[in-house]
Amino acid sequence: MSRGLQSAVASRYVRARTPFPLYQIRLGDASDADLAAISKEMGIGLSVDEMKRVRDYFRGKKRDPTDAELEMLGQAWSEHCCYKSSKPILKRNVYGIAEDKIAFRGDAGGLEFDKDHYFIAKIESHNHPSAIEPYGGAATGVGGILRDVLCCGGQPLAYVDPLFFGPLDKPQASLPKGVKHPRYLFQGVVEGIRDYGNRIGIPTIAGQVYFHEGFTWNCLVNAGCIGILPKKNHVPNRAKAPGNVYIYAGGHTGRDGIHGVTFASAELHEGSEESSRPAVQVGDPITKEPLIHAVLECVEKRLVVGMKDFGGGGLSCVASELAHDGGLGAEVDLEKIPLKEAGLAPWEIWVSESQERMMLVVEPKSVKEVLHIFRKWDVTAVECGRVIKETVVRARYGGELVIELDLAFSTGGPVYDRPIALPAKTEEDPVEFPEPKDYGAALLALLGRWNVCSKEWIVRQYDHVVRANTVLQPFQGVIGSQSHGDASVLKPLETSFKGLAVTTDVNPSLCQVNPYWGAASAVDESIRNLAAVGARCRAITDNLNFGNPEDPLVMGQLQEATRGLAYVARELQIPFSSGNVSLYNDSPHGCRPRRRSSPSASSRTCARASRPTSRPPGTTCSSSARRRSASSAAASTCGCSGTPPARRCPASTPRSRAARPNAS
Amino acid sequence: MKRADIKVGVLRIEGTNSEEESARCFRRLGCQAELVHLKQLLGIDTWKGEERKLMDYHVLFFPGGFSAGDYVRAGAIFAARLKSGLGKELGEYVRSGRLVMGVCNGFQIITEAGLLPNLSGTMSELPEACLFTNDSAHYECRPVYLKHVNRGRNAFTRKIPENEMRVIQSAHGEGKFLVERKEESRILKDLEANDQLVFRYVDPKGNYAGYPWNPNGGPMNVAGVCNRDGNVFGMMPHPERVFYRHTHPDWTRTGLNVRGDDVGDGRAVFESAVEHLERKF
Repeated sequence: MSRGLQSAVASRYVRARTPFPLYQIRLGDASDADLAAISKEMGIGLSVDEMKRVRDYFRGKKRDPTDAELEMLGQAWSEHCCYKSSKPILKRNVYGIAEDKIAFRGDAGGLEFDKDHYFIAKIESHNHPSAIEPYGGAATGVGGILRDVLCCGGQPLAYVDPLFFGPLDKPQASLPKGVKHPRYLFQGVVEGIRDYGNRIGIPTIAGQVYFHEGFTWNCLVNAGCIGILPKKNHVPNRAKAPGNVYIYAGGHTGRDGIHGVTFASAELHEGSEESSRPAVQVGDPITKEPLIHAVLECVEKRLVVGMKDFGGGGLSCVASELAHDGGLGAEVDLEKIPLKEAGLAPWEIWVSESQERMMLVVEPKSVKEVLHIFRKWDVTAVECGRVIKETVVRARYGGELVIELDLAFSTGGPVYDRPIALPAKTEEDPVEFPEPKDYGAALLALLGRWNVCSKEWIVRQYDHVVRANTVLQPFQGVIGSQSHGDASVLKPLETSFKGLAVTTDVNPSLCQVNPYWGAASAVDESIRNLAAVGARCRAITDNLNFGNPEDPLVMGQLQEATRGLAYVARELQIPFSSGNVSLYNDSPHGCRPRRRSSPSASSRTCARASRPTSRPPGTTCSSSARRRSASSAAASTCGCSGTPPARRCPASTPRSRAARPNAS
Repeated sequence: MKRADIKVGVLRIEGTNSEEESARCFRRLGCQAELVHLKQLLGIDTWKGEERKLMDYHVLFFPGGFSAGDYVRAGAIFAARLKSGLGKELGEYVRSGRLVMGVCNGFQIITEAGLLPNLSGTMSELPEACLFTNDSAHYECRPVYLKHVNRGRNAFTRKIPENEMRVIQSAHGEGKFLVERKEESRILKDLEANDQLVFRYVDPKGNYAGYPWNPNGGPMNVAGVCNRDGNVFGMMPHPERVFYRHTHPDWTRTGLNVRGDDVGDGRAVFESAVEHLERKF
């Protein structure tokens, strides 16, 4: 790829004298306008202030950055990776609640299950990719969340998948240009989850599907995974000592999933299909399935000292974070990385988010055995780097040093305390419900609504009994007339009747009317779902999906929602074991549901939502993605054993960096 | 032979995914069960001590899943690798009277390999049947009622009385048992006459019924068949997922003592196989 061909600042891209594509970017004397142009042309999404910080860093180093270095910083400092907008709010509101109940944090949080085991829970969004390419977006969302459980050394047990779309009967003609029909998105997402989840043999046991006008442009696809981990097998997500070897294992690296995180840290627009299609990764469950076995075999044999999965930012993030979190540095040989096609530039190898990849940190004496285990499973694995004492990350290609960054700089992304505005308090319209003349017809109309009707045909496409651990299934009752349960229960261990219950819930319309109580109700309802199957809530993993954080009203919603979450969690002393914030779930088109003439239960919320809110004129309407979903996992007894409810352990450690890359 | 001496090999390649629960079922009955990668039988990429032979085992169990992604046709890739590398040994193994069972993807694999429905020799050159895409055109995960119609030939179901019904979990996208269309009614009649039909889908009253009770729409509601000697058996629904009553979809209604203390409807399949081996070897 040639840089600067049609550039406004062409002279700033200097082709290095290397046999492979590498550019020096002349930042030293760049003006603000030049910096903005470079960020835009390279697609790295850094603001002028951030670019200035980069420029000043390299001035200090008395050299210009390479394109690979700039690309890396673009990924590492994206909203998606470093939570620059949401971190202050999260810190203020949800960090530290019942923290002593958390056994460990990392890519996913773990709590004690019994004296020999932890359980792990994590939820994440994959919204932007799914809005562009629903099948691949959803499949890789499911694949990505599993790796977070796997990279702690845990056995994935089950999936939960809350999904949110626009109304399925929306006329095609009413869709703005560039927007895909909700029915296409919906079908693609369900098929993506089905084909990926079923193929890797992890049951999908809970979730929800919700339709609302506001999700028409930007559907929300959240995927959660729970797992079980023998305490002795816990692998930290960091390097242990200088001399440790990096082993790259799994799928090959290609041009799919380049700029995934910068794509997820901006609003969707008309041209997203065209410009961002390559940002969506391609999933391959039949590489993942043996990868799980091989990784767990290495863990079981005590061959792994640290591990992390390739998520957002790809190799650049995984190589840096493993080293940085261990207080160390790393050197990577980019030529060793297995490629899907020849000719990738070093920066592409460095930031590609191709799927199904894991990085293992092992001691030199274990390398041979680890590589043998992967070979047995026909999974590619190569030695690609080593841990060093100096706290820098270096990468070489063709004998040239193409990246050299201080880890304190590259991982110390910016944090913004963005302006927050709360909507002016308004009296809610009292809604009148005239008594229906014909109750039969009213009931049928209600049952026919998208949000009320049976979702059985979706859930039955997901295998919810593979692994033979599902004790309470998504459908319960007499066979042939089963209905949905409130939560599903697993029996994760062969030798114990202790169960693990999981559920997920939110009412997006409620969050739209009042983010505080909407969020609080999501936690409350999840906990009640668990109580309904006899479980005691032990942990919450939250997924916050909001609009553009540069809009103070969106920040206001995020602030209120997190306060609402914290209110319930603090009162009940239940910790957030992990979480995910997805911002920029927004587009130039907002939600404007019309007032309906025949009010029913859910047109009531529509009617409320349609009331003009006190948005300053000119701001984009962001009601589209105003919701959160609290998925809470709980260890509990399941009825069959009659053992007493799981002991509530007194609770906790500081919440680790919430920044967990994994596109969207 | 003694139960503790019975060795079960649960075969796996990339994409097989029900191997652990399948092996556990045999272990719960006191047998030795190990997960064996096909490459260990073929001697590829193995270190010393990792190689295995088919004759090391008394039961070869092909578990469910999506072997090699099921990308060509369900089970076809696993079957092709198996046959090209171990075809002769597999024929000898089956003729020795040892047991072979395939569940779901495993049924698809042994059918693709020509072991079932065994209209001609032990292992036909070309597949004699296939497990075709469900009528609903998608994956279906639902509990089904199966009627046991075998009169005693099948070594895996002798503990289940004829015409008794069982609730077993079914989960597949390609499970419609089809034979050559022109000969369909004759072949199915022959299978019945030879006592090779084992399970058929029924409704809760025991009547042969259509969707959803027959989740794939297969003719004559065939859910499981065995070979002429009764030592090779394949079925689409998953008995290993209902080894215990507490994994039945409706145990909260029926209680856990329908067939004895926490005994699930699938357990008899494994018990029958083990008891058969105890008697025969």
